[in-house]
Amino acid sequence: MAHALKQKIPSPGRWLRDTNLGQAWLVLALAILFGAALAAVQVNLSRRIEANRQNETLSKIPELVWGPARAREIKSGSAAVQIIPGTLQAGSGANPITLNLFKVIHAGQLAGWVIKAGGQGYAEKIDLLIGIDPQVSALTGLFVLDQKETPGLGNKITAPGWRGQFKGRSTGRPLTVAAGLSGSEAAIDAITGATISSRSVTRIVNRVMAAVKDSLEVDTFRPIERRS
Amino acid sequence: MAYLVDIFLISISAALINNFVLYYFVGICPFIGVSRQVDMALGMGSAVTFVMTIAVFICWTITTLVLQPGAPVSVWIASFFVSPEAAAVIDLTILTYIVYIFAIASAVQFVEMYVRKFYPPLYKSFGVFLPLITTNCAILFACLTVMSHIIGVENPGEVWDLGRALALGIFGGVGFTIAIVIMAGIREELDLCDIPAPFQGAAITLIVGGILAMAFMGFTGVDSGLRAVLTGGP
Amino acid sequence: MQVLPTPTERFIQGILPENPVYRQLLGLCPTLAVTGGLKPALTMAAAVGFVLLCANIITSLIRNLLKPHLRIVVFTLTIATFVTIVDRFLAAYLYQMSKALGPYIPLIIVNCIIICRCEVCASRQSVPAAAADALGQSLGFGLALAGIAAVRELLGTGMLAGYPVLPESWPDWVIMVLPPGAFLTFGLLLALVNWISADKQQGEGGGS
Repeated sequence: MAHALKQKIPSPGRWLRDTNLGQAWLVLALAILFGAALAAVQVNLSRRIEANRQNETLSKIPELVWGPARAREIKSGSAAVQIIPGTLQAGSGANPITLNLFKVIHAGQLAGWVIKAGGQGYAEKIDLLIGIDPQVSALTGLFVLDQKETPGLGNKITAPGWRGQFKGRSTGRPLTVAAGLSGSEAAIDAITGATISSRSVTRIVNRVMAAVKDSLEVDTFRPIERRS
Repeated sequence: MAYLVDIFLISISAALINNFVLYYFVGICPFIGVSRQVDMALGMGSAVTFVMTIAVFICWTITTLVLQPGAPVSVWIASFFVSPEAAAVIDLTILTYIVYIFAIASAVQFVEMYVRKFYPPLYKSFGVFLPLITTNCAILFACLTVMSHIIGVENPGEVWDLGRALALGIFGGVGFTIAIVIMAGIREELDLCDIPAPFQGAAITLIVGGILAMAFMGFTGVDSGLRAVLTGGP
Repeated sequence: MQVLPTPTERFIQGILPENPVYRQLLGLCPTLAVTGGLKPALTMAAAVGFVLLCANIITSLIRNLLKPHLRIVVFTLTIATFVTIVDRFLAAYLYQMSKALGPYIPLIIVNCIIICRCEVCASRQSVPAAAADALGQSLGFGLALAGIAAVRELLGTGMLAGYPVLPESWPDWVIMVLPPGAFLTFGLLLALVNWISADKQQGEGGGS
């Protein structure tokens, strides 16, 4: 008797299975549950992800301005290093370009500029950080942020030895690339088997130098307002 | 002019240099599964191109208007509920993947119904492949590539507009078609060969794919050269 | 009624008899794309494992409420959510790895392994069986990926997981870490697995 009665009254599970509302209810409940989970993830992690993204660039900047040894010294020193991100409108009338750059201030004085620039490499886009001295007369360093050049050949552009060649170059005239000509003043040594990668990096540097040579002044620099 | 050069280079790059199948390895399942005959491969390829174009269009629109940080539609809706300052920083990026996959799935459903009803010959040639492509990684990959050029781009001048996104969608599909049709042509010939038993089926297809990928590596660097020639730069 | 495998059987099946990569040829995009090095391959396998485990458990919990025509929607929603969570966790705690894997993490959503396991196992069996199945399949997937990645990284760079293994004089076969190397390595390993299992079957057949 009790058994028969039990079968007459539909259980909540069965009711959910049989009606349209029940089906919609399931998807909807899952959506709300997952939405809450995602919101929790977003609230907890977004700040950290954003910090990771910025640190990747910011952590390299002192080294580009002062070189590795001096950067370590300054980091342990007492005077504050201030890095102000901003943008710069440069280039000639027909095709103006917007550059992302960082103004580096140490102990209240302008210590240098670091420009973020990208361009087509041999395989995919190459992203560079280029350090320039306060007078915009010479390069102070180069760092490869992102590249997908051929492993073992093109990716030697990330080697400190090769990047180091750019340090101290004058911004006055475009750099050229030549193979096996180390010692020549204006030429950058091409990596054996990766002439195109070497040339791509040099081309990006030349383009940036041409753009900033005249217009890197305090009045064209616009700091980015960061939302907290 | 610079814009046209950009579109041209995105197209060349998507179709040949950074071929979706042979360089990014997306869409491998149909590349191995549906590459037995050239006409089937062509049907699959055109279906993928068609859906990819539509998917990229939808995803570009949704990302630009709704999903990206400070997107106009989200800000407008949010401004009814919270103060304008709070609404201006709304960021729905975390929903991207969920929205994309459902947008693609529903787009495929609608396209299939529409084509079946109004273009029966077209449906005959590639309609049967349509349900298969919902879970084709190549489509989602194209949408994700477009997303990476909208969200998180620091330089406003480098954000992709609809033209660039569509160029990637169409020519990504064309590149997929090229790869799968070449593969089918080779496999039709392979059927006549005496292949050692362990290599039969997927294994030999993968090895032929490897040789094709090597051939396509020859295109690497073409885009940087072309850009230099077309823009007259050094 | 068809007898469904027990949790232990499910777990063992995933590793070799029903290996997702070598036997079912599922999830080939990551198999080829992230096997340039051992580290990204293992991270990928862990990410897929996490998503598969969570999706299988949730599907198994709600299996009695599922309507056939809504099940794919539910599976996709579940998978996409967990993939987003994994993606954010990687970006927050393993930023470099998340950058290296790039779009292949979100592409887990369309990885056929997961939806296939939800459909074949989790929507029919209890939670322990579904979890065991997820663990077995992820282990099988991880082993397959690690195998391919080890061969490619070793021959391509002379290193394993970033540590030099082969002598300095080893001429790096750069092609192995480039796209063609992925196709060639996987093709050859697949043939090897086919050959070994065919040999075994023949041996068993001859013995009886």
